[in-house]
Amino acid sequence: MAFRKRNVALKRAPSGETNDNALLDPSSSPPATPATASASNPPTPGVRPSPVDGRPTTSTGTPSLDGILAGHAGLPLGTSLLIGENGTTEYATPLLRFYAAEGVVQGHKVHVVGMDEVWGRMLPGIAEERGSGKKREDAKERMKIAWRYEGLGQFESARGASANRSTAQADGSSAEDAALFCHTFDLAKRLTLPVGTAINYIPIPRTTSSPFAAILQNLQRQLALSLPNTVHRLVIPSLLSPAIYPPHSPQPSSVLQFLHALRALLRQYPTRLTAIITIPLSLYPRSTGLVRWMEILSDGVFELSPFAVSLHENLATSAGATKDEERPQGMFAVHKLPVFHEKGGRGGLEGLGEDLAFTLSRRKFVVAKFSLPPVEGDTEAQEAAVREVSGGSAMPRKEELEF
Amino acid sequence: MPPSSRIPPLLQPYVGLPKDKSILLLTSTLGASANWLVIRFLCDALNTTHNGGEGGGEGANVVLVSCMREHEFWKQEARKGGGLDLEKCRREGTFAFVDALSALFLDAPPQGVGVGMGTQAARAPQTLPLRGAPPGRTVLVREPPAAAARQGAQTDPAGNKTASASSSTPAGLYTLQSADVAHLKATVLTALSHVCTNGRKTLLVLDNPDVLIATSATPTRTLTSLMSLLLTLHTQIPHILVHTQSDDPLLTLSSPQQPIEHAQHNFLVKLAHMSRRILSVRVLDTGVARDVSGVLRITENTSSVGGTGLIPKDEEERETDKGGTEVLYRIGGDGGVKVFERGAGES
Repeated sequence: MAFRKRNVALKRAPSGETNDNALLDPSSSPPATPATASASNPPTPGVRPSPVDGRPTTSTGTPSLDGILAGHAGLPLGTSLLIGENGTTEYATPLLRFYAAEGVVQGHKVHVVGMDEVWGRMLPGIAEERGSGKKREDAKERMKIAWRYEGLGQFESARGASANRSTAQADGSSAEDAALFCHTFDLAKRLTLPVGTAINYIPIPRTTSSPFAAILQNLQRQLALSLPNTVHRLVIPSLLSPAIYPPHSPQPSSVLQFLHALRALLRQYPTRLTAIITIPLSLYPRSTGLVRWMEILSDGVFELSPFAVSLHENLATSAGATKDEERPQGMFAVHKLPVFHEKGGRGGLEGLGEDLAFTLSRRKFVVAKFSLPPVEGDTEAQEAAVREVSGGSAMPRKEELEF
Repeated sequence: MPPSSRIPPLLQPYVGLPKDKSILLLTSTLGASANWLVIRFLCDALNTTHNGGEGGGEGANVVLVSCMREHEFWKQEARKGGGLDLEKCRREGTFAFVDALSALFLDAPPQGVGVGMGTQAARAPQTLPLRGAPPGRTVLVREPPAAAARQGAQTDPAGNKTASASSSTPAGLYTLQSADVAHLKATVLTALSHVCTNGRKTLLVLDNPDVLIATSATPTRTLTSLMSLLLTLHTQIPHILVHTQSDDPLLTLSSPQQPIEHAQHNFLVKLAHMSRRILSVRVLDTGVARDVSGVLRITENTSSVGGTGLIPKDEEERETDKGGTEVLYRIGGDGGVKVFERGAGES
């Protein structure tokens, strides 16, 4: 498989780490670990120490989301994210799919609550080797011409916290390093799941009591039975959505107890479990005490607020494809970050208060600064189109100045 | 010179315990957690003993009941932020910890899977110590045996409600296994007996007891029993520090009134009236700033302060502004905290 070839040493790992790995390697054999692993391979694929404090982190599958997580450049193991989405859109779903796909590719055990195998079949595939290789060549050539600006552009688009810089640069120079931690996925492709039990689909029992007890038990059993160095990912799409959850589950005593227990479970396995939960905020507004408690019980809280886009505009842009891929589709609010906020907002985090916007293109999900969207378009026609669409706001004028 | 240099001078008068009996209230919001402040309280109470009590208080024993955070977190934070070794304090009998997170709603894993847990515990020593020196890593070292111990303790899930307090292996560590307030009381009293040996006064820190209210099927009843528990405990424990959430959505009642909001609101208001001092932590009203982590507002409940009490320096300060003091704080990357007046950030 394509990703195996790229399994080279992580440059970011401290030298002490590599020694440990050598000791661990023989015993660790998750499905995706290459048998030919050299002594410098990490003990668990897809896990690397945080540049901030060295705690193990894993990728969410979305590089720009990794970049937001308080400089850890990944989701710290033993923490959870709660992603709320306003409106009836499904922007959070790709995030979950990237997260799950990254887990499958890295050989992590993925648990999906309340979904069936159809969901698993929709996971995005890895962006094709050849295509991305070519792109990289392109990038290199362009960098020869104007490397300084090129780097700047990538830095911006990846929403550069200092820790994120390496990720951004990795795109151009050492993509192989980055690929090991976070693969590049393509929503237009489908991931071919490894044979066997890559994904554990946890059904929601139709009981009169709390449905969450059975989910927890299932998860606990899986955790206890798996090898000690297996990393688990828990995916909970649309928590409390009436479509999949029984009507009494939104009761605080039911869902809050579940989240509290999940928090306990995450703390119990601080090096083996992460979780991402999405919740429809239109049904459960953030102004209610229930949702606030859910947020308090989670480690990280994000909110997606898609822009209201008219159908007309949608049609117009879908024809233009590439140019408008970068146009933000909604605001991405950060309310709480794992570890960072638990410690009381330690250190000055670069760009925490900035407005963030997300862009979901056919292939990827990007979170970037709202005020400075990554601009690809450089021809007159594209600028005109952008100006037309955004109604002559300050944005296109700024572009005019820059180019 | 303050007894612990980790406590900023501006904060020093407020983290000290009043001379007489008191309940202190600490509130926090989603984006501004008050864990660092709890740590400063722990430091002040536990550290003064080692320094001979030059800071005014002679120190106190501490029982920490945490419903949201695990023991490891507090240990790390205390060491990083306050230079305090909770483990040592626990062995000396000045500190006890009640873990109300790990087993409160999480049942023991199903029977017959102990093998996996066992291997995890057995493997842990070889995987972990290699990781290097930073204290953040010690989590890994300690956690698996704890998990195994917990599992061992729960092998008979039936009838362990009363015996649970003694089920933890190391002395001074207790695990709360049911959200029942009576059980909480029993556990706290057991923990109290661990620290009550040396005749000093005791500080009980309740970290997010409002979790019990929020997760309860009958929030109002839990609220009532929790309040009466507080009062009962207060007769035995001179100082109680309660940390609760004070987020807007939890306090403003939405139009179809939700029981948890109502109960939380009542809990906070009742506590605020009972409290001698209220310290509330919130985010900056004007948005996020790089050099400010949040705002700390300190209000002394003057009606109940009868001329007793605090450190003299604070006395005059309280005279000047009855409305309370408001300062900004910033948590440094090393865990240290800077507290300053508005506009004095760079000094």
